[in-house]
Amino acid sequence: MSSSTVHSGPWFGDFGGSFAPETLMASLLELEEAWKGIGQTPEFKEELSDLLCNYAGRATPLTHARRMSEELGCELWLKREDLLHTGAHKLNNALGQALLAKKMGKTRILAETGAGQHGVATATVCALLGLECVIYMGEVDAARQKPNALRMELLGARLEVVKHGQKTLKDAINEAMRAWVSDPEAHYLLGSALGPHPFPALVAGFQQVIGEEALEQIQRQAGGLPDTVVACVGGGSNAIGIFRAFVQEDAVELIGVEAGGEGIETGNHAARFSGGEPGILHGCRTWLLQDEGGQILPTHSVSAGLDYPAVGPEHAELQALNRARYAWCTDREALEAFDTLSRLEGIIPALESSHALGWVRSHRDSLSGKRVLVNLSGRGDKDLASVFAQRDGGET
Amino acid sequence: MSNRLVDKMNALRSDNRSGVAPYVTAGDGGMETTLSVLHALDQAGASCIELGIPFSDPIADGPVLQAASERALASGASLNSALAMLSRFRTEGGQAPIAVMSYANPLVRNGLSETAQRVADSGGDALIVPDIPLEEGAMLEEACALCGLCPVFFAAPTSSDERIQEAGARTRGFLYVVGRVGVTGAGTTFGEETQSFLNRAQKLSQAPIAVGFGISSPESVRAAVQNADLAIVGTALVQRLHESNKPAIEADSFLRELLQGLN
Ligand SMILES: Cc1ncc(COP(=O)(O)O)c(C=O)c1O
Repeated sequence: MSSSTVHSGPWFGDFGGSFAPETLMASLLELEEAWKGIGQTPEFKEELSDLLCNYAGRATPLTHARRMSEELGCELWLKREDLLHTGAHKLNNALGQALLAKKMGKTRILAETGAGQHGVATATVCALLGLECVIYMGEVDAARQKPNALRMELLGARLEVVKHGQKTLKDAINEAMRAWVSDPEAHYLLGSALGPHPFPALVAGFQQVIGEEALEQIQRQAGGLPDTVVACVGGGSNAIGIFRAFVQEDAVELIGVEAGGEGIETGNHAARFSGGEPGILHGCRTWLLQDEGGQILPTHSVSAGLDYPAVGPEHAELQALNRARYAWCTDREALEAFDTLSRLEGIIPALESSHALGWVRSHRDSLSGKRVLVNLSGRGDKDLASVFAQRDGGET
Repeated sequence: MSNRLVDKMNALRSDNRSGVAPYVTAGDGGMETTLSVLHALDQAGASCIELGIPFSDPIADGPVLQAASERALASGASLNSALAMLSRFRTEGGQAPIAVMSYANPLVRNGLSETAQRVADSGGDALIVPDIPLEEGAMLEEACALCGLCPVFFAAPTSSDERIQEAGARTRGFLYVVGRVGVTGAGTTFGEETQSFLNRAQKLSQAPIAVGFGISSPESVRAAVQNADLAIVGTALVQRLHESNKPAIEADSFLRELLQGLN
């Protein structure tokens, strides 16, 4: 990838594209036009940057996790997206897209959510901007991320609980897309860097602020670049948000951590790059967990936000180019990291982010003495019930 | 290369007639049932039959076709078993053009060109892929050109005139016109708005028009073919076949009833 390449899609190497039903193409083209037009004006950028700063709380801090560094024998830095308003990086994208939708004259927003962080972020910006909001969430996720389901309702969104399929993120996206096919006048506020063009590039563009800040902060606070940048990968938005700023720094290793669930060998996981193959789902060509006939396989993760059978196409390209490496972390390793960060640093991480930390803990030997930057994509308040339930179930 | 669907559409046009194109989900009720239903529809006078390959995540389908897909997958249906069944339909004398309809992933899983060739070898005539729009259409056109299948493109009420024109020029066999904004299932009312959209599509497309989404009665067939060459009947048929304990007989009588809408 040349350093001057601006990744605006539709293709990221062999991945991406616009695999959407004809009914949606007009809306996708309209969105692309608005993004490349209104979205690039100084007025839009100023308005968004004002909201990010004075409403959402950017810039988020970069924290040197001293006690955990000592335990692991490396120099661990955390990009604190958990401190962003609503508790995760998802708000960066929700603010950007909702502002764009408002300028496009949209009055109704549809969105899917897995962990509920994107649902909460979307409900929040809809309250802020006076937009009608409908959120699709799988029944299993609505139960395991109950606090977020309640927050969405409090914020004035209508929560549609999806009761078919696996009742998780994939099924919520299916239902949100069907709703959009029936209501193409609404804006579909997709929550990760996936889906049909222009979403992967659009979402990455709104999330790259994470890496831009972190690059500047780590050079200033630590005195140089990190050796390794680590982020969890669900659809891939927090990871691409931090990776983009470091892609051109050849010396910086980029690690995306997928959900290893109960272990790759058990088949109960969501590690697309380790257990999948390329295919087409939800509008783009990317790595998928699928069977021989191209049917999508069930996934498993303790973390609702990583429990998804496809991955954003820009990650598929970074992997093909050998620029980023995609590893995995099991449920158990993530739960241990969740506890460790809480006790050593006084920071309760989201179970999603705990996967990035879990990978670092399991690879402490090879990371020894290195400067490691982890994107702490969100906070873990939403996960308390499921973490304690796992404990009571004797699984940890 | 001659193609049953192209020949059929030409014949309808030169006779100044319209037709009905029923849709069935392959393997719903078992593949043997689907085979008997295809024969029944063929003999009752289907102008074309759409054979839906079940997919785990059908984002353009409403609850009835989602459920049919789930039932078919649960009973072990796959692209392979559907194509084996289609071959038998042909060796047993089945005449109607068959348009194979599937989401992209099952078709690209083992190579789109290889799969298109297998569809053609099994006696299929067209490929309809709702998640391959014009933007990604070249791969479908190339795969189909190699083996003589018709690549089918879509037009929707949200499509611009330019898109409908382009789809009409690139599609083969017919242009698949989505009668209303929405997923498959709920009834299209052939009011003024739908008719004026069909009219717009007809003016812009050189290709014959097949209109689908929610046609369920001889009256809606009659309304549909005022501005179209084919009326596609999916959800209503799939639901009836599922509820019937004699699906082939049900297919025969329902199609004959629908065909009255042509007179
Ligand atoms: C805190 C947090 N991190 C990560 C993710 C995974 O999404 P993505 O890969 O798009 O960052 C989620 C998704 O819900 C999340 O809530």
